[in-house]
Amino acid sequence: MILNPLPPTPTSPPPSWYWSLPYAAVALFVATMAALLWLTHRQDSEEQRATLINDVLWMEQNLGFQFERNNNHLTQLGPDLLKGGPLSATTQARLRQALDPESGLIRILWLHTNGEVRGAQPPYTDSHLVGETGGTFPSNSAYRLSRSMGQPVYSDAYAVIENQTQFEVHVPIFDGGRYLGSVVGVYSLNNMVSQQVPWWFSERYRVSVANNLGVEIAAKSRVSPLSSLAYEIPFEPPGHGLTLNVTAYKSEVRWIPLLLMGSLGVLAAAIVWSLWQLRRHMQRRQAAEQALRAEHAFRKAMEDSLNTGMRARDLKGRITYVNPAFCRMVGWSAEELVGLLPPMPYWAPEALERTLAVHEMVLGGNAPPQGIEIRLMRRNGERFDALLIEAPLIDSEGRHIGWMGSMVDVTEQKHAQELYRQQQERLQATARLVTMGEMASTLAHELNQPLAAISSYNTGCINMIGKGDMSPGELSGILEKIGKQAQRAGQIIRRVHAFVRRSEPKCEPVDLNAILREAVGLVEPDAERRGVNIQQDLADALPEIAADPVMIEQVAINLIRNGMDAMADAPRPQRNLTLTTRLQDGMLILSVADRGKGIPPEVAEKLFAPFFTTKEEGMGMGLNICRSIAELHRGRLSFEGNPGGGTIFHFSLPVQP
Amino acid sequence: MTAPLAHIVDDDEAIRDALTWLLRTRNVSARTWSSAEEFLAGWQPDFNGCIVLDIRMREMSGLECFDALLERRNPMPVIFLTGHGDVPMAVGTLKKGAFDFLEKPFDDNALVDVVIRAMESDARRLASQETQATVSGRLAQLTPREQEVMHLVLAGKFNKVIADELNISMRTVEVHRSRVFEKMGVRSAVELAQLLAPGRD
Repeated sequence: MILNPLPPTPTSPPPSWYWSLPYAAVALFVATMAALLWLTHRQDSEEQRATLINDVLWMEQNLGFQFERNNNHLTQLGPDLLKGGPLSATTQARLRQALDPESGLIRILWLHTNGEVRGAQPPYTDSHLVGETGGTFPSNSAYRLSRSMGQPVYSDAYAVIENQTQFEVHVPIFDGGRYLGSVVGVYSLNNMVSQQVPWWFSERYRVSVANNLGVEIAAKSRVSPLSSLAYEIPFEPPGHGLTLNVTAYKSEVRWIPLLLMGSLGVLAAAIVWSLWQLRRHMQRRQAAEQALRAEHAFRKAMEDSLNTGMRARDLKGRITYVNPAFCRMVGWSAEELVGLLPPMPYWAPEALERTLAVHEMVLGGNAPPQGIEIRLMRRNGERFDALLIEAPLIDSEGRHIGWMGSMVDVTEQKHAQELYRQQQERLQATARLVTMGEMASTLAHELNQPLAAISSYNTGCINMIGKGDMSPGELSGILEKIGKQAQRAGQIIRRVHAFVRRSEPKCEPVDLNAILREAVGLVEPDAERRGVNIQQDLADALPEIAADPVMIEQVAINLIRNGMDAMADAPRPQRNLTLTTRLQDGMLILSVADRGKGIPPEVAEKLFAPFFTTKEEGMGMGLNICRSIAELHRGRLSFEGNPGGGTIFHFSLPVQP
Repeated sequence: MTAPLAHIVDDDEAIRDALTWLLRTRNVSARTWSSAEEFLAGWQPDFNGCIVLDIRMREMSGLECFDALLERRNPMPVIFLTGHGDVPMAVGTLKKGAFDFLEKPFDDNALVDVVIRAMESDARRLASQETQATVSGRLAQLTPREQEVMHLVLAGKFNKVIADELNISMRTVEVHRSRVFEKMGVRSAVELAQLLAPGRD
């Protein structure tokens, strides 16, 4: 069923690159985002590096300040330490201050001008110096260099026990140009690193010091993975190839860019996936559409080729669809028909009531499955008979949305049937006529024989008498013969009468109304065809009478047929045949009133005569037989003019025969 | 030669009897046959008079009987009696040579009149048969030359022309001519022509 035409197919499919466009866009998007992330990351690293360098520089500076401060302390302590004698309380206090762990100094030595150790705070034993000392303690070279240069000089770093590394600073002390000796500060590199590096720095960075061989000699570190970010600067002072290495710890995972990246990836993947899904969906849809189109074309061709009219209606009876065959049948176009509500233009006006009843029956769901025959009208007014078969129309969701009807034009068929019936009737009538003619002919011949003989004898006698030579004996002989022939003729007539006698009525109790209804049922199709309306006005509770039902029905049918024949030329609305029954004076009377031309007086005289007919195909026996039947039942057949025009035939039967 | 009779063929005894009686009242002799078969069995070529044939009979119908008679070259006139008045059938019989047909019921004396006419016609036929026999006999007496002359006379030619054509003298022609007249029993060329008219080929 196709209710709506499909939209036209797009003329050309999209080019192949059409489908790669979204992918390219997605790839571009992902690339952009990746570049952005990479740039952010790089900037971040640069920033980290800059911070590292700043921090390292700050650190270096900080250490520089500390060394400077220590040198100043040592320079100030120098004269007090080197003047000899026990150390004053003040000096001792200042020594302790200088040896504050914060300062990085672990020991202070003061030397004679010749380089010998005069004292040390805290005092030291040689055991302190066990290790990888590259020379003397305190360092001679540093002593000499500082004395000669007149400024603080740092010694090489050297390892001592307990995996410690130390270095010294020699500060020469002068008093007014006179060399007094040197004050030596001993630094523990390990202490320095651990004490001088502030907590926040060590939190972020691993700080280590390496000697000129690149061997790490001191470090401040914690248990944490290291990043690749590192900075190395020479450790000056004290120099001598020491390097300060600062390595950043791996910072904690930076979630935001990661999340950003991850979500970007997921998003891109989702977009690609959904695009692909969409494409697949569209391909499936296109395939389905193609299939639908093919199916549609197939169905349409099928419907168009049909000779059967198809028409769909909704539940209210509105036409929703008609096929070309239907349009051809009724003559209206599909555009004109679709949307119409009953009464439809193709309903024949004279059969409107019946058509409407059929329509109601269909909408009520009571249409007979074998179909209904109705009379419809073409646009040019031509009537046709259609066989209508209705079936409920169910939509794809199983709802009942209307009715689908198929219509077959059966006019030709009916016409052929009608023609066949007429021919059959004519044939039968002819056969009856032939039989009747045969009978009449035989009868005529049979009767003719004695009559001819009588006539011949008679003529002979006259001839003889004319000649005057006839003897009475001869005459009486002839007259006897004449009498014999007359008797023979009488015999023949008696035989005929006896033959007719054989069809006596077979009487049984009958209901006149019932017989009448049956008769009307038999002639109804004929009446409908001729456009005659049969009205029945039957009296209630008629007594039963003893009669031959077949004969009575024959009379009723004959009278009805005669009435319809009489109105053949009357205008259609006037073709009313009224049947009435009534009980009157002990007689049941059936009256058949037509509205035809009436019966002219010259016809009325011969109306009941056998073989008299006013019809081309009639035998002239109908009314004659009717009257015979009436007489067989001791009834009467009479007629009178209908006051409204036409004739009324009365067929009366005695209730008590 | 038998006497002329009206042969009545009818299966109804009363009709046969009545018609015989009727014809007798008009001095016509009749012979009755109760069926077509009986008549055909008793038929003789020298029957003369006429046949009154009923069309509708129990066994062989009148029409069939008529056809059988035609086959036997029956010379008698046939009068049909029909109860049907079937005109095409009647016309058919007339075309085949029937004398007349009468529709029952008929006027009886009219039937007798027709019978009498038919018998007269048959009598003429017999007479003409006899005349022809005579003429043939006389012609046989003529010499070949006389016959030649006779033909030329009948052609209406004068003696002189005949003499020229036959290359004989006028006198000889006149002798032959008078002999022909004498032998044929006529007095003039006109009588000769009349005598020979029906028999000439």
